Amino acid sequence: MANHRVGETGLTESRPPNHHHHHNIPYAVLHGMNVPTSFIHQEGSAFGFGELEEAIVLQGVNIRNDEAKAPLFRPAATLEMFPSWPIRFQQTPRGSSKSGGESTDSGSAVNTICSKTENQLEPESPISTKNTTPLDHQQEMASDFSRTGTSQNQPVAKLPQEKRRGSTSEKQLDAKTLRRLAQNREAARKSRLRKKAYVQQLESSRIKLTQLEQDLQRSRSQGFFLGGSAGAVGNISSGAAIFDMEYSRWLEDDQRHMSELRTGLNAHLSDSDLRIIVDTYISHYDEIFRLKVVAAKADVFHLITGMWTTPAERCFLWMGGFRPSELIKMLISQLDPLTEQQVMGIYSLQHSSQQAEEALTQGLEQLQQSLTDTIAGGPVIDGMQQMAVALGKLANLEGFVRQADNLRQQTLHQLSRILTVRQAARCFLMIGEYYGHLRALSSLWVSRPRESMMSDDHSCQTTTDLQMVQPSQIHFSDF
Amino acid sequence: MHYQGESWGYYMPTSSMPSDTMERVVKLASESAVVIFSLSSCCMCHAVKRLFCGMGVNPTVYELDQDLRGKEMERALMRLLGNSQAVPVVFIGGKLIGSMDRVMASHINGTLVPLLKEAGALWL
Repeated sequence: MANHRVGETGLTESRPPNHHHHHNIPYAVLHGMNVPTSFIHQEGSAFGFGELEEAIVLQGVNIRNDEAKAPLFRPAATLEMFPSWPIRFQQTPRGSSKSGGESTDSGSAVNTICSKTENQLEPESPISTKNTTPLDHQQEMASDFSRTGTSQNQPVAKLPQEKRRGSTSEKQLDAKTLRRLAQNREAARKSRLRKKAYVQQLESSRIKLTQLEQDLQRSRSQGFFLGGSAGAVGNISSGAAIFDMEYSRWLEDDQRHMSELRTGLNAHLSDSDLRIIVDTYISHYDEIFRLKVVAAKADVFHLITGMWTTPAERCFLWMGGFRPSELIKMLISQLDPLTEQQVMGIYSLQHSSQQAEEALTQGLEQLQQSLTDTIAGGPVIDGMQQMAVALGKLANLEGFVRQADNLRQQTLHQLSRILTVRQAARCFLMIGEYYGHLRALSSLWVSRPRESMMSDDHSCQTTTDLQMVQPSQIHFSDF
Repeated sequence: MHYQGESWGYYMPTSSMPSDTMERVVKLASESAVVIFSLSSCCMCHAVKRLFCGMGVNPTVYELDQDLRGKEMERALMRLLGNSQAVPVVFIGGKLIGSMDRVMASHINGTLVPLLKEAGALWL
C-alpha cells in the first residue's frame, strides 16, 4: 500500500474544495476533543513517532490558546500513545466552534483509531468525504505500526509544509517549538535506526549460535570434545577432557586398524602376517586401558557414568565400560565354525567372566552400602569426620573401575589365545563394527526429529522401550 | 570360609623383626588350601571373597584389622607385593597368587581352576 505522506495525499483527497483551509489537518490533533475523527484515517497510512509527539505538543499549545476547547481535553491521552489495535472509538460531543485555522474536527490522534459506526462527522469534516472504509484505514494504520522505520522520511519532508500551514494559521507556533519538534523527530529517527541495527545483530548472533550448537552436537555424538580446559565445555574436569580427547584419537586409530584387519583378511595374508596385524590391534586395545587407568585416577565418575561414551553405549555400561560376558555372547553366534575345544574354551571364558563380573558387582554394592551407612541419617557426631571417611570410601571406586578394565583386557587377550589368527582377526573386526554401529545409533538418536516424538504418547512409549531393550534381544546379525 | 581369630596370636613371640612377621604370613598361608588376607572394611576384599565362594571354594580368611599383629603383617604383605595395597592377598596351596588383578587374570586365562583343584579346594 502506498506510503502516504502525512497530511498530504489523504488530505487532498478528502478535502472538499471549499475547505481548503483544512489543510492544517496535522494540527487537527490539537483539538482532541471535538468530533472524533481519525487523524490516521485522513492522513492515510503513515504514522510515526514524530507525528504523535508533534501532535501532543501542538495539542498542548492549542490548549494554551484556546480555552474553549479545554474542558474536553483529556490529559490521559498521552498514556494512550501506543494503543493496542484497535481502540474502541470514543465519541465526544462536538461542542465548540472551530477557531480560525483550526477548523478540523479531528479528535486527538490516539482516540481516533476508530470504528466506523460511531463516527459522527460533520459534513465539512475531511473524513466524511473519504471513500475508503474506516476498516481499511485501521488496517493501514496497523501495518504502519509495524513499519515505523519507513515513516522516518516523512517528518523531514513535512516540515516545510507545516511551516507553510503554520504561517496561515498557527502564528503562535514559534521557531523554538518547531526546532524542538525537529529535534524530537531526529532523536526518534536515530533511536529507530539503533533499534534496527541491534535487532540485526541479534539475528546474526542467533544464527551463529544455532550453528555452533549443531557442530557441538555432531562432535559430541562422535565422542570428540572441543576444548580441554576445565569449564570449557559445561563442567567437565580437565582429567575428563583430556581423556575424551585421547579417546577420540583412539577411535580414529581404531578405524585405521579395522580397515587394516579388513584388507588383511580379504588379501588372504599368511598367518604370520595376519598375526602381526591382530597383535597390533590387541596393543591398540591395551593402550585405551592404560589411558583409562590414568583417567580413573583423575576423574573416576567420568568413566563410571559413561560420559565419555555415546548414549547407546552408555545404555549397556557396566562399571565404566563394556560387560565382557555380553560381548562374548554377541560374538559366539558369529564366530562359527569353531572346534569343540574352541567352543569349550569360549564358554569357559564366558563363565569365568560372569563370575568375575558378579564378584566385582558385589564388591561395589558393599562399597555403596558402606558409603550410605556413612553419610545417611542417624546422629551426626562429627560431620567432618564422617565426610572424611566417606571420601576415603569413595576413593575405592577407582579400584573397581580399574579391576573392571583389567577384566575386559584379560578377556580380549584370552579370546585371541583361543581363536586362530584368522578367527581372531574376524572377531576383533566384529567387535569394532559392533561398537561403530552403537555409536552410529547414538548419532541417529541424537538427531532424530523431535516433533514426531511429541505427537502422541504411544510414540514416546516406543522409544522408552527401545532404551530398555536387553542386550540379548538385539540380533547383531541384522546389521 | 572360616575366619582365624586372635587365638593363634598367643603362641607367637611378640617380636618386631620383620622376618618373623613374614615367616608368620608364609606359615599361615600354607596351612590352608586357599588363604585370603583381608580387612573387614575393604570392599575389594569382599569382592575376592565373593569370587571364591561363587566358585564353590571355602577360603580361610584372616582379617588383619582384627589381628593383634595385623599392622605388621600388612606392612610385610606390602613389601611382598611391592605396592601400597596390602589386601586382598590370595595364597593357593601355599603359593602366592597375588592381589585381585592377578586373581582375576588367572581366572580368565583358565589357570585358577586347575590351581584350586591341585590344592584340593575344588572337586569337580
